[in-house]
Amino acid sequence: MSEIEIQLKKGVLGLCVLALLSRGDSYAYEIASRMAHAVDMGEGTIYPLMRRMQSEGLVGTYLEESPSGPPRKYYKITDTGRGRLAEQVAEWRTFTAAVEGLITPAAEAAPEGQAEASHDA
Amino acid sequence: MTRNEFIKRLKAGLKGMPAEDVAEIVGDYEAHFDAGAADGRSESEVAEALGNPGRLARELRLEAGIRNWEAGRTPSSAWAAVLAFMGLATIDILILAPIVLPIIGVIVALYVAVIAVFIAGGFVMVVGPFSAMPGGAIAALLAGLGIMAGSVAAGALLTIVSIWVINALMWFGRLHYRVIEPAIKSDDFA
Repeated sequence: MSEIEIQLKKGVLGLCVLALLSRGDSYAYEIASRMAHAVDMGEGTIYPLMRRMQSEGLVGTYLEESPSGPPRKYYKITDTGRGRLAEQVAEWRTFTAAVEGLITPAAEAAPEGQAEASHDA
Repeated sequence: MTRNEFIKRLKAGLKGMPAEDVAEIVGDYEAHFDAGAADGRSESEVAEALGNPGRLARELRLEAGIRNWEAGRTPSSAWAAVLAFMGLATIDILILAPIVLPIIGVIVALYVAVIAVFIAGGFVMVVGPFSAMPGGAIAALLAGLGIMAGSVAAGALLTIVSIWVINALMWFGRLHYRVIEPAIKSDDFA
């Protein structure tokens, strides 16, 4: 994996976790396996990341009975976490739109408004 | 790597952290192995996907150090945070050592000096009035008080500077994990 790929992915891990949790509570194994497929990270990293996000107040935890074995620790996004997610999504959109504008060959480059519209589609 | 070996290496890396934190972290990874088994994955598959336990332990230890430091800016939490940072013991941090160690040394020496000046001020204040200091007893008292107040002010300044230095170290430690030693490479499995 190239250096730029590693850095990009590592930088957005927190954003991805918040996005997953904003759609529903989850436990670390589930988050890790979904993230591992999507962004190709080491599954073990999820735990330092979750502990950090917990200490920053972005996520909370609670225990819930699991169908198999001992109770599971579920993570839940907090209001602070939702705020952070919104900020980071906005930053991400601005950033990718800017990069897209730069790497698209001039001949095909559409005016900015149209380029953004096609991203949303 | 087997589950037992992974947990053993993780625990070895977490040595020195409070027992309840270690228990919680180990519990998280044990639960991960359980969930993996329920998912039909073998122990070695799960261990490989988790990554290097030693590296994970270093990152967890740094996070814990930062959390303690942010929760209470005490000399002992500062010391623990610095130790966790040095514990990363990787190339980029070893390169920093010649810069960081003298800074820490100078700060410690300044603390010693500030305390010495404070004691000296107390000495002047207590002994001065009885030992015919030029200017008389009142001048000796005031001079002693002045020296003590000065050393307290210097100590306060020094504290601000050391908090700043430790914050900078912690910032670098996190940067280290985000950029220089990213967790995504799971090939560092030695």
